Parts: sequence; C-alpha cells; structure tokens
Amino acid sequence: MYIIVVGAGTVGYGLGLELQAMADHEVVLVDRDRSRSGELREELGEMVVHGDGTEVVFLESVGARRADMLIAVTGDDGTNLVSCQVAKHWFKVARTIARVNNPRNERLFRELGIDSTVSATGAIMAQIEVDLPEHTFIPLMKLHGSGLQLVDLHVIAGSEAEGAALRSLHLPENSIISLVVHEGGSPEVPNGDTVLRAGDEIIAVIPQEAEPEFRHLVAGATVNG
Amino acid sequence: MRVVIMGCGRVGSTLAARLEHEGNTLTVIDTDPYSFRRLPSDFQGETLVGSGYDDHVLEAAGVHEADAFFALTQGDNRNLLGAQIAKHIFGVKVVVVRVSDPFRGEIFANLGLRTFSPTNIGAQMAYDALIREQ
Repeated sequence: MYIIVVGAGTVGYGLGLELQAMADHEVVLVDRDRSRSGELREELGEMVVHGDGTEVVFLESVGARRADMLIAVTGDDGTNLVSCQVAKHWFKVARTIARVNNPRNERLFRELGIDSTVSATGAIMAQIEVDLPEHTFIPLMKLHGSGLQLVDLHVIAGSEAEGAALRSLHLPENSIISLVVHEGGSPEVPNGDTVLRAGDEIIAVIPQEAEPEFRHLVAGATVNG
Repeated sequence: MRVVIMGCGRVGSTLAARLEHEGNTLTVIDTDPYSFRRLPSDFQGETLVGSGYDDHVLEAAGVHEADAFFALTQGDNRNLLGAQIAKHIFGVKVVVVRVSDPFRGEIFANLGLRTFSPTNIGAQMAYDALIREQ
C-alpha cells in the first residue's frame, strides 16, 4: 500500500517509523514546517518531504493520485479535516484517517465522510470511565461506515430502564440491546420480556448521535437527576 | 438578518460595518481582541474573543440562530473547519468561506460551500486594469 502521513509531530513520526518497518508499505511523511521536516529527513531519509498536506499541488507532487490511504495527524483539526477531504474528493484516495484533537469534532468528521477518526482525548476518557463507577458508559468500538457504535453500560437505579421490560422501553431509533449480563455474571440474549435491573450490564448497538438519549434512558436518574 | 463573522481583519471588519449599516444584527469573532479596533467606533454588534472553529465559541456567538455565517480569517483550513461546523452541526443556511488557495476553493465549492478566493479576485482585477489601460 502507498500511504501518505500528514504531520510529522510525535504521532506522525512514530507512525512513519512503524509503517516503514512493515515491508509491504511505501510511506511518505509530510510536514509544512521546514526545520522539522529537514531534521527528520536526516534521520529517516527520503520518506520525509517538506510541504503543506492540504495543498492540491503539493499532494499531487508526492503522488496522492496513487495513494491508497492518507492519514492526517497534525495538532490542528482544520488541517486534518481539509487534508482528508482534499484526498478523498480530489484525489479519490480510498481510505482517510484523521486525528481529532477536539473530541467534539469527531461527529462532524464522520458526517463529512472521513473513514476513521482517532481521538486521544476520547480514548483516554473512555479508559477513565472504565474505572469510575459513577461513569457507567463505555464506547467499545465504532462500526465502520454505518454511523453505529457498540457500547457497554450499566443500568442505574432510578433510571427509566430499571424494572422495565424491553418491549416497553422507547429506545432511540436503530438501537438494539444485544446482550444483558445480570448481576452475578449470567449473560442473556434479551427478548421483549427481559426485565432490566439496576446493576445489569448491557451491550448495545446504537447510532452515534443517539448516545445522550440512550445514556439517559439507561443510566440517567429520573428523579433528582 | 442575524450574521456571524469569523475573523475581524480588514475583510471581516469592512463587511461587518457594511452589514450593520444596512440594519443587520452582527456578532464578530476573533482570537485577538486587538483586531476589534478595526470596527467603526459606533459599532453596536457583539464582539467575541475565541476561535471561530470551536463549536462552543460558535454556540456562544449564537450561530444556531444565525441566518448567515462568514469565515474570513487568513487561514484556509480554519475557515473551512469553522464553515463546515456552522453548516453541518448548526444548520446555518448561508455559509460563505474565504479560501485563498483556488484549488481548495474549487473542491469545497463542489462540496456545497460558497467559497471565494481573494487570490483569484485580486489577479482578475489586476488583469482587467491592464486590459483597460491598453
């Protein structure tokens, strides 16, 4: 595969090294900072090129037309978004991956067709939530291309879901509770009669934008909430 | 009309003054408070210090109630990020973006943004001036 990495900061540098070590990939690492790219070129050789990874003429010069993948990992969301959009819409690069610095931009990036987004803040927040009992919502993974995500959460006492049979719950559209693990550890593939209890763990597939609604239903207190 | 302008440089401040003079309600965003000096002394609109590509700042600027959003800073990429947040997250009807790089401008025009390139406009005016002199 031919891969273009935009941004040679800590993330881009590490990524360049890893990809270069994999035999089957041809990698070019671009950065618009002249001294940074010069420095790295001395270490890594010709794979490092100085230039603006959002500029059509420059991307053309590094062979964007034959690239299989563009990965934009600068510290600036505007640069990462535009770089991926130019790659996708002008050069028809099949797969684009963007680092998202402001996790709230993740939704916009997905809506605009960026194939994958990676947010360090989001990933660390998810890890924190694993360890905090009061934060009961863990995004497990995004399902590629569908806008759906797999989530893990606990039913909270006082929520709308507690004590309710699944058929009576008004789930957000396109949401499915696919597994219920009751307290004590017995898993159940739920049906309409399954009653949720406080402390039950749920694995569900939900649209990304339905997260607040779903979270409120299952893990939000209805009183004093 | 309610109008939000991102970037209070020469272009942004001139447009803000004109639109306010015509009776519109303006909010102008810039990262540098010093740039608001470019607005006329009797400017009545709101000024907001912050990044116009930050959704919290845009919300504080009332962009969800705006009829039009202009991204006019000198940075193409931040203009394009701010404009796409305004259009896709906040649903602003009219979104106009300054994109200096004509190629990039064309790509995003094809994606439904109203872009203009000061580079193309400047070059065209210089060219026209030459033709008229001949």
